[in-house]
Amino acid sequence: MTIETNSPDPLFGSLSDAVVNMDELETVRLAGESLNLGIEPGQAIELGLVDGMRRAGELFEREEYFIPELLICSDAMYAGLKVLEPHLPRGTVERRKGKVVLGVVEGDTHDIGKNLVKIMLETAGFEVIDLGRDVAPVAFVEQAAAVDADIIGLSTLMTTTMGAMAEVVRLLDERKARPRIKVMVGGGPVSQQFASRIGADGYAANASAAVVLARRLREDAMEAATP
Amino acid sequence: MTPLERMAGLSAGRPIDRLPCVPIVGNTAARVIGVRTREIRESGSLLAKAQVASYRRFGYDVVRVFTDLYVQAEAMGAKVRVPEDETAYLHGPAITGSGGVSDLRPADPSRDGLLPAHLEAVARVVQELASEVVVTAAVTGPFTTASFLVGAEVLAKLVLREPATVHRLCEVALQTAVRWADAIIDAGASPSITDPMLSSTVVSPRQFREFGLPYLGRLIDRIHERGKSVTLHICGKTQRVWSLMADAGADCLSIDNDASLAGAKVAVGQRVRLMGNVPPVAVVFEGDPAAVRGAVRVCVREAGDSPRGLVVATGCSLPTETPFANIDAMVRAVEEIGWPPRVTPEVDA
Repeated sequence: MTIETNSPDPLFGSLSDAVVNMDELETVRLAGESLNLGIEPGQAIELGLVDGMRRAGELFEREEYFIPELLICSDAMYAGLKVLEPHLPRGTVERRKGKVVLGVVEGDTHDIGKNLVKIMLETAGFEVIDLGRDVAPVAFVEQAAAVDADIIGLSTLMTTTMGAMAEVVRLLDERKARPRIKVMVGGGPVSQQFASRIGADGYAANASAAVVLARRLREDAMEAATP
Repeated sequence: MTPLERMAGLSAGRPIDRLPCVPIVGNTAARVIGVRTREIRESGSLLAKAQVASYRRFGYDVVRVFTDLYVQAEAMGAKVRVPEDETAYLHGPAITGSGGVSDLRPADPSRDGLLPAHLEAVARVVQELASEVVVTAAVTGPFTTASFLVGAEVLAKLVLREPATVHRLCEVALQTAVRWADAIIDAGASPSITDPMLSSTVVSPRQFREFGLPYLGRLIDRIHERGKSVTLHICGKTQRVWSLMADAGADCLSIDNDASLAGAKVAVGQRVRLMGNVPPVAVVFEGDPAAVRGAVRVCVREAGDSPRGLVVATGCSLPTETPFANIDAMVRAVEEIGWPPRVTPEVDA
């Protein structure tokens, strides 16, 4: 009987649905319910909230969801995380798959793209240190060193700031911080061609691609860190 | 043949010497007269001088008085950061949260922000050039201005959470746009609308229909009432909203390089003129004259025979530091193709 009532599957599905359906109140309610039922919060996060956000990301890629939908889904996911995360047993918070220092480079404040990348990276288990927008090149480099980041993620929607992206790469080289720290770039005017030219380690066309790229770069960074 | 005669010929279906060509020169114009971008943003006479010099230097077919998208929103209270020699960018919205919407007032082009300076620029360019070339001035669309008034991410969430608030924001942004468009027409130029936040890269076609179409429609109706035709540019993906852009009344759709000119020709080429879509960054900014020539030929091959005509243009505004040689190459490539605007694959092979 205990097994039956505590059978987690339907609740995970409902939690995932609540995120996909942009229902923040329902997400919070179900997250609370999962705690009452004694469901392991780590599982409710992975199989419920994260699963829902992953599905929302897929709908975005299929152009069924757009930026408004994705942002509201993420609000629901974060609201659920706020309920569940305090109940994670010590140590299990370390579900992190790598550290990313992320921001919009100096000269630009368009940050929706950067925020979507942050959401999808966090969904995928990365720890994201968000420096916000209009961030000086040196701030990326110093922050990455301070937190021992694996990856620096640079975003822009304006061509005027593309030089600042190259400057981040140059500063890292100057400090011999590569290949330990990888650089990924993205945003409207940026291309693979541009990324290669400035010596960045990768380019991602959208938030989902950024996750795939970050996973690969994280592995490379780990390898580079191994003596 | 002057650009004006060329454009009129294209509209009338008469043979002309070549397709019109419009590398969309914004702040690059500052480089033509050797001044900083902030100077042309803030001085009507320098903005006019730069645009006139740029037109004379490159010989393209539409002059567009434009520095950045924020001039209207700034005149309504949005905070804009203006680096000395880089394009301006939004520093902060005019209001915080939806509570401030009732504090917003439509801008007065004769008084608020840099609108008077830009209006002076429009009048000066008209005086110098209107006898030979179409002179336009940029009007930022209501939905995009709304995003600057309240913040883009806030607006994106309001679209789903408080649609009525979004409508109020679009309404006040529309009033500014109509006044600005009227002022531009009074000065003798044509308004040219840009509404990038309506891109399908940002909002859904359904949201375009709800928050874009009514306001664009009213703005364009007003411009038509005053006897001017309208080009509508939306950045990024637009395939699913081309027909709605035409429904809004636009006479010409400016297609980003993220969308297909060939697709647009099939979908809406019977209804509207097309403009596009040489990649401004990857090709004109970062490429060389040969790459520019190749990209021009692709555009003409895709849509040179579009029923209502093609203006060979960049898919979006050019970066400030675009090499002059590449802009020259764009016009030259269109001249080389000549008339009729036909490019056969064999020629390029």
